[in-house]
Amino acid sequence: MTSASMVLIGLLQAFLILLLAPLFSGFARVLRAKMHNRRGPSIYQNYRDLVKLMKRQEVVSEQAGWVFQATPYVIMASMLLVATIIPILTARSPFGWVGDMILVVYVFALSRFFFSISGLDTGNTFGGIGARRELLLSVLIEPVMLLVLFVMALLAGSTNLGTISIKVATGQIPYYTSVWLGMLAFAFASFIEMGKLPFDVGEAEQELQEGPLAEFSGHSLALLKWGIYMKQVVVVSLFLAIFLPFGSMTVDSIPGFVLAVVVFLLKVAIFYFIAAIFENAMARVRFMKASAVTWAALGAAILSFVFYLANV
Amino acid sequence: MDAIQLLLLSVLVFGVGAVASLLLNNNSRSARYVSGIAGMLASAVGFAAAVLAAVGRSSVLVLAGPLPFGNFSLHIDGLSAFMVGMISLVGFAASLYSISYLEQYSNRSLGVMGFFTNLFIAAMILVVTVANAFWFLVFWEMMTVASYFLVIFEHEKQESIRAGYLYMLVAHAGTALIMLSFFAFYINSGSFDFTAFRLTQLSPAARSLIFLLAFFGFGAKAGMVPLHIWTPATYSAAPSNVSALMSSVMKKTAIYGILRVCVDFLGPSVLWWGWVVLFFGALSAILGVLYALSESDLKRLLAYSSVENVGIILLGVGAGMVGLATKQPVLSLLGFLAALYHTINHAFFKGLLFFGSGSAISQTHTKDLNQMGGLARRMPWTGLAFLIGALAVAAIPPFNGFVSEWFTYQALFTASGNYAVSVRVFAPLLAVLLSLAGAMAAMVFIKAYGGAFTGPFRSEAASQAKEASGTMLAGMAFMALGCLVLGLGAPFIAPYIAQVAADIPTVPLLPVAAGVWVFPAQITQAVLSPPFVAILLLGLLVVPLVVVALYGGYKAGRRTVEDPWTCGYGYSHQMSISATSFNQPMNSTFSVLYLLRTLFRRPFGAIAAWSKRARDGFSRNEPVIENVVSRPTTRFVEYLGQRIQTLQMGDIRMYCLYIILTLAVLLIVIFK
Repeated sequence: MTSASMVLIGLLQAFLILLLAPLFSGFARVLRAKMHNRRGPSIYQNYRDLVKLMKRQEVVSEQAGWVFQATPYVIMASMLLVATIIPILTARSPFGWVGDMILVVYVFALSRFFFSISGLDTGNTFGGIGARRELLLSVLIEPVMLLVLFVMALLAGSTNLGTISIKVATGQIPYYTSVWLGMLAFAFASFIEMGKLPFDVGEAEQELQEGPLAEFSGHSLALLKWGIYMKQVVVVSLFLAIFLPFGSMTVDSIPGFVLAVVVFLLKVAIFYFIAAIFENAMARVRFMKASAVTWAALGAAILSFVFYLANV
Repeated sequence: MDAIQLLLLSVLVFGVGAVASLLLNNNSRSARYVSGIAGMLASAVGFAAAVLAAVGRSSVLVLAGPLPFGNFSLHIDGLSAFMVGMISLVGFAASLYSISYLEQYSNRSLGVMGFFTNLFIAAMILVVTVANAFWFLVFWEMMTVASYFLVIFEHEKQESIRAGYLYMLVAHAGTALIMLSFFAFYINSGSFDFTAFRLTQLSPAARSLIFLLAFFGFGAKAGMVPLHIWTPATYSAAPSNVSALMSSVMKKTAIYGILRVCVDFLGPSVLWWGWVVLFFGALSAILGVLYALSESDLKRLLAYSSVENVGIILLGVGAGMVGLATKQPVLSLLGFLAALYHTINHAFFKGLLFFGSGSAISQTHTKDLNQMGGLARRMPWTGLAFLIGALAVAAIPPFNGFVSEWFTYQALFTASGNYAVSVRVFAPLLAVLLSLAGAMAAMVFIKAYGGAFTGPFRSEAASQAKEASGTMLAGMAFMALGCLVLGLGAPFIAPYIAQVAADIPTVPLLPVAAGVWVFPAQITQAVLSPPFVAILLLGLLVVPLVVVALYGGYKAGRRTVEDPWTCGYGYSHQMSISATSFNQPMNSTFSVLYLLRTLFRRPFGAIAAWSKRARDGFSRNEPVIENVVSRPTTRFVEYLGQRIQTLQMGDIRMYCLYIILTLAVLLIVIFK
């Protein structure tokens, strides 16, 4: 069910995401600054932040239990696992022999589970509020993601992400109306999963989605931030793998690999750019209004399903 | 010895344990040990019987008489062996756990407790093996009565008595429906034997009627919405070892009943049966988890979560029945496989969670999550066990809950390719509901673990809690291990369960596992390797460790401060998010669905008010009508009214009444 080259590509994908995630976040920061007419930090600023945090002493509240300690590690490990499964550089799913799209959705749940408990673990007010908001968003978004994935899986006849990706890449699944609508809904869901406005503000971490970060410090904070950067790229990669898999390798070769890496970087950069436009063009919304917006995403997902049923 | 002899031996040991513990009633310590050890022994023997039966496929015992209309016969086929195995494993853990757990009740008659516990487990084992309708009902009733006495164990508490009453009421309404369904079989086949039931030819109307009677009759015991109303009260009132047994295995005897009658006896389903099952499954899954979310009573929360899980099991059963109706054997196999797998998984993780909550409650003396907090620091092992249970119930990979939900998704995915349009439309939407329930279940258990085990101590008792003792930890460890084995061992366990699933309605058995992989019959559809998920997750943990070490993160050291950061203000534990405030965003987002709960209660309030008005009316008329006529009538009505008044919180009456009356009328119409 597996071959050595697939294992290698899977591990390379994970390594690539690990390495480049802070860069993309830095890119988002730069874009944000430019759109605000600020000079902004260097694109490499996130790396410097991480290195600095790594060397700092950790300050932990007495109430923090071992879940709090384990969370940064668990989140990073689960994001690495997802990065090996999603078809990023190849149109096949490198670690497709481990699991399918349902596993991917639930590995996200694993990281969210630990992230939220770590927010409660310290007894910090912001941590708790952040945890419950994170979870509410997941309740609203997860059904959207799953329905879209299900539609694509039905078109492909398999829940394996690689099979879906190949069939879209080779045109066996043409861009039906249902695929376009699914793409719209999924892009919306990815945008929210990335923790962007209107539901989240990077600069006010202690009150919104990143609330559970409030108590972390030192290398734990560094790892956790890194994990969150990775999650953003992984979510975007999942979107790209399903809806825009062109440029990925269908046959393994060194030039193909290089090309795939370049195309992937470009695609992610474009996604970040579009996301940045949306993020900066929007005002913050009261959190409790979030459901009103996410229903629209669910609506698009359901429409996509209806069009799938009607075969268009 | 063959399987049947072992099974009888197991029941005998249960019986001896029960009587011995009753005789030792005056010495609570020996009663605890004797009943616990006897329960463990008997369960071990029962498990051996299940294994033997599973290997030998089936085993039968028939004793003529003693009653003219029912031979006492036991039959262990694949499904029975599966159920006996599950009941024995959970019974073993519960007996083990009880030995230490019951110590806190030492001033009570623990002999009686031991008596009914052993009787309860024995009755469940007999229910799933007996092959005669009359004896089935006898053991079913024995199970109900034994559990009733366990529920009202703390009988000086008003709460326990009321919960027990409600439980008794719903259970018997359910039994009445089951009895009617058996009678319908009897009228046609002239025998109470299950073999005769299986062979009898029924008219389509009669089959549908039997399906409805059995589904709602067993559904009441399974606690599906809207017949779930007894579960929160009952599980909350009963001691935790009893709640664990009731939720983990007693509910599953109802699932067994549904499979036995609706699938095994009735054979090929009609499509709308599948829809009925799927509808109530989805309803239970969503409403169960929503109501769990709004609870801050730990045991009520767990009870509602059981409602949700019964819903998920019913989704599997429904998918299987749809497969039978549309002649799609792969779907049947996957549906029943998912249902059975989730049945045993739920038995393990819910048992574990009830054990964990029992330890927490025995230390804090409260069921209120808002009064616990920080327990993981005082009872780390209980905390770890509860966390494993929480991860499993939230379907987090690679724990067991995920594997069975994965099969449920795959069953629904397979159903989505069905040629019947209705199935193609609704199966993907049910998958979405399942994912919604999954996301909310994660929230429920983050709240439960977060509220009880993390954060500041929210009460004096919580700050002085001590780790659970001896056999309680052993019982929890056993269940936690079970969760891991059922999750990671899926490639080895799934084929066995598939075998059982294929035998219920006799569909062709297809491979569902190879090597360390499981797959839904077609390998191209999907593969999953729980062992690899675990290995990779653990292996990839090395990456962050190396990264931190590389940058000298571990050299920087750490400092512990007393309180979390509060923007510079003084910290107080009221600042942390309590269990109640945790779900505030959910409450306002899904307020419409919470309204349903109020609606469910309305008819019962109306009937109580009506009975009061009627009574008042009669008393007012007294002077007009002759005293001779009216006084006894009034007294009788008053008596009746008072009876009804005592049931006032018995929300379920109206439903049961409706259902029984309607079905009785239907029966008369059809069999006239």
